[in-house]
Amino acid sequence: MSRATERRRSTAEWLQFGVAGAIVLVMFYPAIWMVYSSFKSNREIFRSPFALPAQWRWENLIEAWQVGGLGTLYFNSVFVTLVAVSMCVLFATAAAFAFTRLEFPGRKLMYRILLIGLLLPPPSVAIALFTQLRDMHLLNTPWALILPGAAWQLAFTVFLMRAYFISIRPDMEEAARLDGANTWEIFWHVSVPMVWPAMLTMVVLNTISVWNELLFALLFITDDAQRTLPVGLVRFSGYHSTDYSLVFAALTITTVPILILYFILQRHVIAGLTATAMD
Amino acid sequence: MQDRSAPISTGAANLLFAAPAMLLFATFVLLPLGASVYYAFTFWDGFSAPRWAGLANFIRALTDTTFLMSFVHVVLYIAATLVFEVTFGLVMAVLLNSDRRGFSLMRGMFFAPVVLSMSAAGVLWKFVLDYRTGLLNSTLRSVGLGDWAQPWLAQPETALLFICIVSGWKYAGFYMVIFFAALRRIPRNLYEAARLDGANGVQQFTAITLPMLKQNVIVCILLAVTGGFAGFDLFFTMTNGQPFGATEVPATWIIKQAFDQNQIGYGVALTVVLTLVVSLISIGYLKISERGNVTRY
Amino acid sequence: MAKKFTLATKRLAPTTRGLALTAATAVLLLTTAAMAQTEVRFTHSITGGSSRAALDAIIADFEAANPDIKIKEIVFDDDQYSNQGLITQLKSNEVPDIFFEWAGYPVQRDVAAGYAYDLSEAMAADGWKDSFSPAVWTDGAGTMVDGKPYLVPLSLDLTNTIWYNKKIFAEHNLTPPKTWDEFVALTKTLADAGETPIVEGNNEFWPLGNWAGHIAAMVVPPDEYVAAFKQEAKFDTPAFEKALNLLVDLHNVGAFNKDMQALGADPAMATFFQEGAVMHPIGSWLVSETGNLADEGFEYGQFNTPTIDPAHPLANSVIGTITGLVVHKNAPHAAEAIKFLKFLTSEPSQVKWAESGQMSPVQGVSDKAKLDEQTEAMLALMSSASAIVPPPDNKYPVPVAEAFYQAAAFAASGEKNAKDALVWLDETLAAMGKQ
Repeated sequence: MSRATERRRSTAEWLQFGVAGAIVLVMFYPAIWMVYSSFKSNREIFRSPFALPAQWRWENLIEAWQVGGLGTLYFNSVFVTLVAVSMCVLFATAAAFAFTRLEFPGRKLMYRILLIGLLLPPPSVAIALFTQLRDMHLLNTPWALILPGAAWQLAFTVFLMRAYFISIRPDMEEAARLDGANTWEIFWHVSVPMVWPAMLTMVVLNTISVWNELLFALLFITDDAQRTLPVGLVRFSGYHSTDYSLVFAALTITTVPILILYFILQRHVIAGLTATAMD
Repeated sequence: MQDRSAPISTGAANLLFAAPAMLLFATFVLLPLGASVYYAFTFWDGFSAPRWAGLANFIRALTDTTFLMSFVHVVLYIAATLVFEVTFGLVMAVLLNSDRRGFSLMRGMFFAPVVLSMSAAGVLWKFVLDYRTGLLNSTLRSVGLGDWAQPWLAQPETALLFICIVSGWKYAGFYMVIFFAALRRIPRNLYEAARLDGANGVQQFTAITLPMLKQNVIVCILLAVTGGFAGFDLFFTMTNGQPFGATEVPATWIIKQAFDQNQIGYGVALTVVLTLVVSLISIGYLKISERGNVTRY
Repeated sequence: MAKKFTLATKRLAPTTRGLALTAATAVLLLTTAAMAQTEVRFTHSITGGSSRAALDAIIADFEAANPDIKIKEIVFDDDQYSNQGLITQLKSNEVPDIFFEWAGYPVQRDVAAGYAYDLSEAMAADGWKDSFSPAVWTDGAGTMVDGKPYLVPLSLDLTNTIWYNKKIFAEHNLTPPKTWDEFVALTKTLADAGETPIVEGNNEFWPLGNWAGHIAAMVVPPDEYVAAFKQEAKFDTPAFEKALNLLVDLHNVGAFNKDMQALGADPAMATFFQEGAVMHPIGSWLVSETGNLADEGFEYGQFNTPTIDPAHPLANSVIGTITGLVVHKNAPHAAEAIKFLKFLTSEPSQVKWAESGQMSPVQGVSDKAKLDEQTEAMLALMSSASAIVPPPDNKYPVPVAEAFYQAAAFAASGEKNAKDALVWLDETLAAMGKQ
């Protein structure tokens, strides 16, 4: 969407570019600092915090990967996020479809109940959820994060998907109906392709939330083998709170891939948000 | 805006499309919420049968000064997020709204902290703000302002402020993107007409941009308020309530009460109070903004 | 909590350990099919240092001798262990077979909550109980409840002593002080010379709190001290005020690091080893971290809190406690857990344990093991002390102890004067109710 045009810039535009650039650089610097500090020795970090590494110590990253068991953490985070986000977006899309295109008993009431979720802070059920998951024998399994993780993103996702459905006239679906398609076929072959951009946006937003979730992960998982990245990082920095280079290396390993993924998907996120528009 | 056109299908079977979402939501949101309301009226250690406590937990909550102060802190935090996140995000959306080369990259860079986890951000900023070896104090010392170096997270006056700033750093990009998306939908000709009328940049912003973004501003404020009350990660990783409870917020205090001190009934009562407060504020807020005839709830 | 172990693993060891682990896992995968293994879940907070290495070695020995048992360690750093780590496990449906615990009040609480297994029978067999030093089974030791043993002692901890940097002391011609006044004067000398005299990482309140508990015990008449912590009398007394004023005096000469309340216990220890401060009041577990944190040739020693009031019955006391392991009452594999604990407290294992910088509670071990000089010195200090004062959070209800710790932090950081801190403490305890 942003086709860079190279008409001569006016003074105001240069000013805009300069001010925006300065702010963005200041904001982004901590991330850059984190990345290049992860290649330094502890002594270098203390003595000259700004300088680039005298010697790029790639072994810091390898060590952090091994010491922190980051492979397991990554795998668990990917698994939890993948399942929870797919579940949430699929269920929410179907529900939004039902709330906007179909008629059935209890439709309005259900939507209103679901909206409660928009207002609730997750800490408000954390304790009761802990005992419930225990009684369901789900503690210490990925499902203790997947099911509540998906459930807590539902309200927001349904809300935005519904808005997107409303913004599109149901002409295509009605045409398909006249052609004799059943509701399931209409949903799957007409609606889903139609709202796909919004679904993609919701995938990105939910991925950010689920991937970063800390509170539930802290309470519901105690085994190293099941832990996800955010808790792993907090624990890692607790263990190694004095080993700056190792902690920076772990931070870099766990955040840079996500940042790269975001830069690749950036256009879709912004396009999708423009479409759903949060209103 | 009209809610919907004529349904393409009617009948109870259509319930199946909403059922998975509703079941999941009921099991992991509504059920624990209902259980919380019950447990809140009991003395309970999490294992043995809960004993009826009447209002005892709630009375204790109202005399728990740390808990009451945690609401003051979270309100201050929310107020700060409205400035550092929503307002700053809006300003940056306007500033970064250009098709010129470089702006797309800058938007990406500005949004980048949003995708970091809160715990990563907290850990990173703890290193930046460390008194002895942190980046901030090192900078001050290196430019001869060593006297300004402060134990930022150890002083009640500055600890909460810096959490707010870090929160702003983390989330301003999120609001920027929402506002940016909305800005893109404002017809260009509105601005051109205004320019012909001789309106300057600020006037264009107040006369066109703000009114066109009203809807988004309302949603963003709601997100900031509900998100603020849910705030846990940053507080937990950066200070966990310290120094002397100056950064204690409801979520951190609740977790301490219920798990640290092993009194689940009381912890649950605190969650119920939190839920009530957030719901009342949000519903009140929506009622007020509905009066302005803008939401679609 | 009077905390025990800490900190980072060795910088180089992990690579090899990682490889060994991978190899071990591979072997495990090959062998599990053939042999049904019992998995004993063991949760603790020994994250690194020489003691963790010793523990891992002991576990490896045990597994080699008992191929049908696998010890699964579930490890948290101390703050997380005592905040959520242990309790979320105790309350889950998959309880640990063995968990690390501090003697005294925490054990009582675990017994009352139904988490602790009565070890009377096990201790009676094979003379297990008698293999320990008799002192660990006295009433004040806190390993037993109603005469039944619940805690298997693993270490004697000196909860607080004052570690100092020998080189910096020498630079300023200082020697360990004998009296509190000398201590304050010495601190002032260091502060005036631009040093940070004392570093404390007090964001969880217990590091300074333990020390303040000892200081108060050395100032306040013992009856008055006990009554206050049992919530039978007020803290706001002239004697407690005098005790907290000792901390205020230190604050006034610039003794503490400015970020005391934001710093964690581990970074504070690292600051001491990096020569960022001259003294560091903390417990005996510092020794096992030396290898990780100190540079080659770093010289340090320790001295007990100097005499404050020579006439006080506890003038010559140390503060200390026992730490050990509890078998869960509902442990799925209690028999295997006990078997492992017997192995862990056997003489050969305890020699390894002691040589990693721990004071062993098992008889004769300290004589057999080649202890390092710091451990020797601490043992000498403990045996020369007229009494061992337990840290408040091991003896009295934890919420009461924690409130006292916070009052001490108020005084030491200049947030409140001693009087106001004590008034705050009494009000807080009144609101909390009897614990």
